[in-house]
Amino acid sequence: MKTLLFAPEVFLADGGIARILRAYLHALRELSPFDSNDRVGMVVLNDTPASLDRMPTYLRDDDPAPLATASGSRWRFLFACLRHGWTADRVVCGHIHLAPVARLIQLLRGGRRLRYYLVAHGIEVWRPYSAVEKSALRHADRIFCVSEHPRRQMIRFLPDLDPARLVVVPNTLDPDFTLPSAPPARSVSDDLRILMVSRLARADDYKGIDSMIAAMLQIRAQLPRATLRIVGRGDDRERLQTLANASGVSDAIEFLGRVSDEQLRSEYEQCDLFSLPSSKEGFGLVYLEAMSFGKPCLGARAGGAPEVIDENTGLLVDYGNIDEIADACIRIAHRHYDPATVRAHLQKFSFPSFMNHLTTALAD
Amino acid sequence: MCGIAGIAGTSLSADEKTAAVNRMNDAMKHRGPDDRGIFARNEVALGNRRLAIFDPKNGHQPMVTDDGRYTLVFNGAIYNFRELRAELSPLGYTWRTECDTEVLLTAIVAWQEKALPKLRGMFAFACWDAQEKRLLLARDSFGIKPLYYHWSSKGGLVFASELDALFAAKLFTPEIDPRAIGAYLANFSVPAPQTIYRRVRCLHPGQYATWHDGNLSLCAYTDLQPRAMRASDHCSNYQEFTAQLRLQLEDSVKAHSLADVRVGAFLSGGLDSSAIVALLARQSSERLSTFTIGFNEGNASEHDAARKTADLLGIDHHEYRLTGEEVARSLPSILARMDQPTGDGINTYFVSRFAAEAGVKVVMSGLGGDELFGGYPSFRQVPRVTRLVSLWRHVPSPLRKVILAGLRRQGEGRASKLADFLGHARDLYEVVSLNRMVFAEKTRLALLSPEAREAAASMGPFHQMLEHFAADLHGASPLKAISAWETRTYMTDVLLSDSDVFSMANSIELRTPFVDAPLSRWLWHQPDKFVYTPGRIKGALSDAVADLLPAGTRERPKTGFSLPFAHWMRGPLRPFLDQTFSASSLRQCPLLDAPAVRSLWDDYLTHNHPRNWSRVWSLAMLVAFMNRRIAS
Repeated sequence: MKTLLFAPEVFLADGGIARILRAYLHALRELSPFDSNDRVGMVVLNDTPASLDRMPTYLRDDDPAPLATASGSRWRFLFACLRHGWTADRVVCGHIHLAPVARLIQLLRGGRRLRYYLVAHGIEVWRPYSAVEKSALRHADRIFCVSEHPRRQMIRFLPDLDPARLVVVPNTLDPDFTLPSAPPARSVSDDLRILMVSRLARADDYKGIDSMIAAMLQIRAQLPRATLRIVGRGDDRERLQTLANASGVSDAIEFLGRVSDEQLRSEYEQCDLFSLPSSKEGFGLVYLEAMSFGKPCLGARAGGAPEVIDENTGLLVDYGNIDEIADACIRIAHRHYDPATVRAHLQKFSFPSFMNHLTTALAD
Repeated sequence: MCGIAGIAGTSLSADEKTAAVNRMNDAMKHRGPDDRGIFARNEVALGNRRLAIFDPKNGHQPMVTDDGRYTLVFNGAIYNFRELRAELSPLGYTWRTECDTEVLLTAIVAWQEKALPKLRGMFAFACWDAQEKRLLLARDSFGIKPLYYHWSSKGGLVFASELDALFAAKLFTPEIDPRAIGAYLANFSVPAPQTIYRRVRCLHPGQYATWHDGNLSLCAYTDLQPRAMRASDHCSNYQEFTAQLRLQLEDSVKAHSLADVRVGAFLSGGLDSSAIVALLARQSSERLSTFTIGFNEGNASEHDAARKTADLLGIDHHEYRLTGEEVARSLPSILARMDQPTGDGINTYFVSRFAAEAGVKVVMSGLGGDELFGGYPSFRQVPRVTRLVSLWRHVPSPLRKVILAGLRRQGEGRASKLADFLGHARDLYEVVSLNRMVFAEKTRLALLSPEAREAAASMGPFHQMLEHFAADLHGASPLKAISAWETRTYMTDVLLSDSDVFSMANSIELRTPFVDAPLSRWLWHQPDKFVYTPGRIKGALSDAVADLLPAGTRERPKTGFSLPFAHWMRGPLRPFLDQTFSASSLRQCPLLDAPAVRSLWDDYLTHNHPRNWSRVWSLAMLVAFMNRRIAS
């Protein structure tokens, strides 16, 4: 059986979608027995041949399956999809924008059936669909939703989708991600180091960074040495920096920009709380990353976050409610979150568990 | 029906907690004039004011189990308490009273949170488990009874049935929430779980909270979409449907009429209240008392209809003539009881007062009929606008911009509302979310101070629960989705909230047989073509009571007790409004843009837009509420 992954990015960037698609690639490879004729390849829109150098060794083998990159060229991507998809048995589309390509191949192949699947991540599917997208969604064999929330949103915007074909396959940590050694539990003090990791893009103004910055004044009133460290870059940084400067506690807020993997690990290790009170996280892979370091998380009662954060692993607040965000941070500072308990929660989202979900979802 | 209050986990001693809960109880005297009680330990203090409806001589609260482990304070009524008692008795539980409170307490002991979906009725309660050191708070699935709470950043919890009672504990300083001002101007009230105050929330309908060791966790025990029924419960034809509906209605009215005190009903002359009264009259062995309010301006035909219905059914009917002067005189008392601003509810205040003066302690209302049977214009308008919005997306973008700019230039009114639909909405949920907006977005933002405007803008144009409700209602038909939306927004946040505040202000228990979980669950699973009869507004309800009411009454749309505000605001209420919109009064409202508010009032006086009165009145209530707070 020949399986293809159509993806916007896999190794070029480290965004949430790219990371989860690496997990898909890994899982699809794992699901193909070595001694069989099964082959798993991918066609990637934005990756370049050079970006494939970042591919972990466990994904490199002598498999003759294609690893095609289009370096951002849509025509080259379409051509590669048609060429490799022509002989594929099944295609997993890593983004809704790519599902029409699979549908086109299915139509062109006529009698030779192609089964295709879609991974629905979050806000990219929380909207009305074009006629082409509707057709692609209706003919997809299964749609893998990263949490129950995007699943429900898809049914909201396309009510005639068969709910049985929308399957929740919760995200997992990047299989390349090795669990850190658990740090000791923090003791209660007036020091609270809060970490945010997010793209700072104007288009992503739902992430709750503004609210977190605004809440720092109240947090500092109770915890005078509390700090907020924001990792990430983007075209909204200047505006957020201005907000921070006007917050009255600008000395407590630091923008770190893009950081190396090593530095990011260090930030996770040293923080007391990971915060992303975002209104539109389909899942929130970063919460899992923080939990792997034993850190409690703050999320919003919106999107998929309530399916990831529970009472043992953090707190949920109303999106944009600055008072509630401040109170929640102070509560977390005063409460003992056992790192081992926080990490134990990850079992629910482990890679083997992800494989099980995917196996079931791919089954007839 | 009572008022409850409590404190958990603060640094206060038991004596200090007792004193604080005593103050909270005192602030709710009107909710329960018959009895009061306090339970206090080091960890927790619970208080109650009781309006005794079942077994008035017993049923004192807080109620403690024999072993002393569980303590309950409860506001509301459990209509299936006798059935639950029969279910619990074989498990070995014995009984001391004939009261629903004891059954609720025992159900919690036996089933913990799993008891909640079994309860039929209206409730908000707090139950302390002394062994586990755990406090359980819960609210009924429709939100008929309120429960407000403040959870401090140190972990302490204070809760009460009313906001003013919450503040009587003096554990924190109430501050107006800038986000809530924008939400109020959009929705006629502040939608749950938000309140007008910062750091104060209310439980969602169908939600429970557990407080343990300073941590509070919230859980839903019901879904917006009721659980599936047996296939045999689905009606296959309309005759079967109306016959079954009649049985369901009779069952609900019978359950809601349980009481050990005198029961009456509000009767407006419309179909909803007439149907409830007719069903109640058939079941009641005593002569039923009904109450309506009338005016010299306007609704003479409604009085006549109510009187005719009452005559037909042989009812002891009471009609009260309300004047604008009396409304003006009563406004200070009304505002004193208004613990959050609301643009509605004054009708409920007067008809409740009238019923209380007649010696009735429990009244039934037709509230909820429009939500169940598609009585609101939204059931017709929203699908139409949704189709328009769908077509609009095919209009070229530059042309859309030109049209939107043109519509927004028209000022407050239908054009600006259409602009909001076209500019923001993408599907039915977003259309229904905008449909009840009091002010168009542009006007609403202009009425706010820069701080409140920024907060409102950050919340976006839609109702804050849009994403949750849309996700919960996935797969529902458009009409069922509109019904659920109206039920969980306008009915919960405005109608039920006002009904509780203003009936309790007069020590009256208000019951709503249309707002009943078994009835709404059964209806949810029936075909739309039966429930929302095409071409006939509330035709299903009309047909279900066809043998009880004449056609003239059944085909009359629900009118409620609509007051002639448009007339009074230019007459008897004018001095109040002039004072409310004066410079000195508006100075007490730093979250509003005073010139914009004043201009709205001036514009109302200059131009005779009778449809605009509700916008101006809701704004006046907000300003008056702010002034009341400052004064108190």
